[in-house]
Amino acid sequence: MASTTMPGHTVSLGELRRAAEPHFGGKSANLGELLASGIPVPPGFAISAGAFGLFLEENGLRERVSEVLRELDADDVKGLRSVSGELYQLICSAPLPEALEGEILRRYREIAGAAGEENPPVAVRSSAIGEDSEQATFAGQQKTYLWVRGAESVCEAVRKCWASLYSPEALSYRARMVAAGSEPAMGVTVQMMVDAEVAGVMFTCNPLSGDPSTVAVNASWGLGEAVVAGEVTPDEYRLSKVTGEVLHRSIGRKHLEYRPDPASAGVRTVEVEPERQEISCLEEEHLRALVEVARRVERHFGTHQDIEWALARGRGLPDALFVVQSRPVTTVRRRGGEPPRARSAIELVMGTFGVVSDEERGRS
Amino acid sequence: MYPPWALFDERRREHDENRLWFWNSMHFPVPMPAFDMVEVDTPYYALGGWQNRAFAVPGAMGVDYRIVNGYVYISPNPVTDPEKIAERSRFFQQRAGYYYENWDELYARWRERMEALNREVSEIPVPGLPEYEPEAVVFEGGEPSWATLLASYRRALDCIERMWQYHFEFLLLGYGAYLTFSEFCKQALPDIPDQHISQMVAGIDVVLFRPDAELRRLARLAIDLGVAEAFREGRSPEEIEAELGRSDAGRRWLEELEEVKDPWFNMGTGDGLYHYYGSWHDDPSIPYSSLIGHIAALQAGEDIERPTRELAERRDRLVGEYEALMDEEARQTFRELLGLSRKVFPYVEEHKFYCDYWFQSRFFNKIREFGALLARHGFIEEGEDIFQLSRYEVMQALEELALTWSTGGEALGPHHWPQIVERRKRILKRLEEWTPPPALGRMPEAVVDPAIAMLWGVTPQQLQEWARAQRDGSGNELAGAAASPGEVEGTARVVRSLEEISEVRAGEILVCTSTSPAWAPIFSKIKATVTDIGGIMSHAAIVSREYGLPAVVGTGTATSRIRTGQRVRVDGTNGRVTVLDG
Repeated sequence: MASTTMPGHTVSLGELRRAAEPHFGGKSANLGELLASGIPVPPGFAISAGAFGLFLEENGLRERVSEVLRELDADDVKGLRSVSGELYQLICSAPLPEALEGEILRRYREIAGAAGEENPPVAVRSSAIGEDSEQATFAGQQKTYLWVRGAESVCEAVRKCWASLYSPEALSYRARMVAAGSEPAMGVTVQMMVDAEVAGVMFTCNPLSGDPSTVAVNASWGLGEAVVAGEVTPDEYRLSKVTGEVLHRSIGRKHLEYRPDPASAGVRTVEVEPERQEISCLEEEHLRALVEVARRVERHFGTHQDIEWALARGRGLPDALFVVQSRPVTTVRRRGGEPPRARSAIELVMGTFGVVSDEERGRS
Repeated sequence: MYPPWALFDERRREHDENRLWFWNSMHFPVPMPAFDMVEVDTPYYALGGWQNRAFAVPGAMGVDYRIVNGYVYISPNPVTDPEKIAERSRFFQQRAGYYYENWDELYARWRERMEALNREVSEIPVPGLPEYEPEAVVFEGGEPSWATLLASYRRALDCIERMWQYHFEFLLLGYGAYLTFSEFCKQALPDIPDQHISQMVAGIDVVLFRPDAELRRLARLAIDLGVAEAFREGRSPEEIEAELGRSDAGRRWLEELEEVKDPWFNMGTGDGLYHYYGSWHDDPSIPYSSLIGHIAALQAGEDIERPTRELAERRDRLVGEYEALMDEEARQTFRELLGLSRKVFPYVEEHKFYCDYWFQSRFFNKIREFGALLARHGFIEEGEDIFQLSRYEVMQALEELALTWSTGGEALGPHHWPQIVERRKRILKRLEEWTPPPALGRMPEAVVDPAIAMLWGVTPQQLQEWARAQRDGSGNELAGAAASPGEVEGTARVVRSLEEISEVRAGEILVCTSTSPAWAPIFSKIKATVTDIGGIMSHAAIVSREYGLPAVVGTGTATSRIRTGQRVRVDGTNGRVTVLDG
């Protein structure tokens, strides 16, 4: 019964738009938007939240999950752990609906075709529903699996993403914050992995001052995880969004980097050679390209963006630069307040000379 | 040597010790020759007169000055009584408001007055004191030569007093409007670089660009007339003109040159505040070396025109992009302030040409005529010695000359003045070797005078920084104002005077008290600039931004804490200078 509707549950990223967010989650929808506006995003596909529902359905797990959710006690840490462990086991050992598995296989082969490689590495990421809004704090609790190779491993990573909805932290959060009984929903993004020589994040405004004419870039060697997780002191650059020039540069000590594990799947951290630790990991031309992408992404969404990006190893610009994620900046507050308001420019000039009106004097 | 009121004196010790005095090395980097004190006295009369008595700037009166070992220290006089500030506010609003409203018309009239004054000072007669008076004096009731001599000298001083009065008429208001715009931009966009603010405002077609534009035109003309061969590297202006004089085409070019010279060769070679700065008239090798360069570039097929269209496009693009980042209300204010800043900015740039270059070079040349006269009569050994006498002493010397010339008596002057001149020359040499501290006295709580912050970079933070540097002067880091972004490392070259400029080698970092237009040639050689004194609108800051060199200005102590040959790192983005080897 369910199989007939399965094709609607995976879709190529390029076909997604913002309107798909309730079904595919914010991450996938935003990546679709970026692709549509010509931003370089690694190819990939999205799995809908509904697919998870079908998975529960077909494996007869819905009852058990609902039951567990109803009985949650946020303060019972031990209990949360054991429930989480049970659900993780259930989800990770149940088979995917056959049609869904077929879809994932087909989409993965498409990526393989584009990559010219039999088992290309992909990132399998949770794409939370409503992540950009009230459940923002929920986002960080969901898992990402990097450098996953082969269709079977992709399916396994998809199940692990789903299972992360019931991690002890997520369960505790849900028990406290979310109306009891409401079901979590989550899409999954599967995206070709960029073997990043350098990667990082950038804000399309100054995260400290709120200056909208600035792009703030953090960068480090290897995959972006080291920057996102705060495991290195990244290079920091502040660039003028208007002219692209570097306004501020500080070079961090980047002592480790995430690299693909040559022995098996996944990634591992390796020590950065001493001579590479404290040199700038970006050249002027990279910074120019990043500002340009930041401008385009911001213009497309119409709000300040927090962008994860990567520069692929062994490639020159413009082909090297990829955006792997973008979401609206919600945490910046202006420092130093708004610019002065006055009835006229002359009034402000008078203020510069220390003019006080009789009215002001009366008040003070 | 210096007037008594310009010295620290026991009788007002308590008053003077309780305030901050900072060395105005931006305008007066070397010890003052006695005559040149006229360039300290009269500008501060005029600045104070406008600020305090004419416009009544609410919180700021004038600027006091004291000479310490020949160096000029200044200290602003604040108004602190709230009643008085309110009273002055009413005056200021009405009077300054009138200027902002009628700016273009007032400024047009100012230019006419200023041009007339520049002609007047050039045309003051300095009679040669002939053996016998001309017949006109005898038969037509003309002024006697001795009286003309004294009146002319008084008139020259009168002219410089008027010049400084004109100089400050618009300056405060001009800077104030610009400063307001600049601060508004930084509030709205905290990271906006200073040079973007100045690029949005700065004039593209102002008088200051005209002299070089005329040289470019003359360069093209030389090629069109087929006389470009005369302009060979290494030739002196006299040699070039001699060759040109030998052909019709060359003579046509020389005629054109004569047309251009007045007023455009009144371009200064320095800031104008010392007698030894002059203009292109006085040192034609400067315009001629430009001409040689322009001609060579044209012949190599290069485009030597100023890219005014690109500059205008860049300016409009900056304005458009920054505007788009603001909300509607802020955008409205931004536009109004930008409009006002652009209206006032031509004055801010052009007064330098009319006053500091054109007038000053004419004025000092006029004084030289009196010097030549005194030298002819043995009062001093050579004409230039006149600048070692104060303006009052020159008056005394001229009076005695007039007296003894009239009476035929024996003058004391030739026995009196030459030894004074000699002694002062020696003293000035010695004083030049001393490095004055950037500030003396007690730190104030606030700096209320906007001009002080803007022109000299004297802000509360800067005062703290100076105080810290004076306390623990051993650290290897100096802080100043971030004047031009970028970071470089290099070898320092400490330059204390204009004469030392030739020692600067390519790729070095210039460390100096401050710079003036005369320093222009070295900016294409150096990697970064560090100054003791100066704000974001100082000459060093503006030129560094034009050349894209990192600059930190207003460090207070760079020239005394950095030695030539040391490795330093200049962070012009954050206003930090680090000495890398102790």
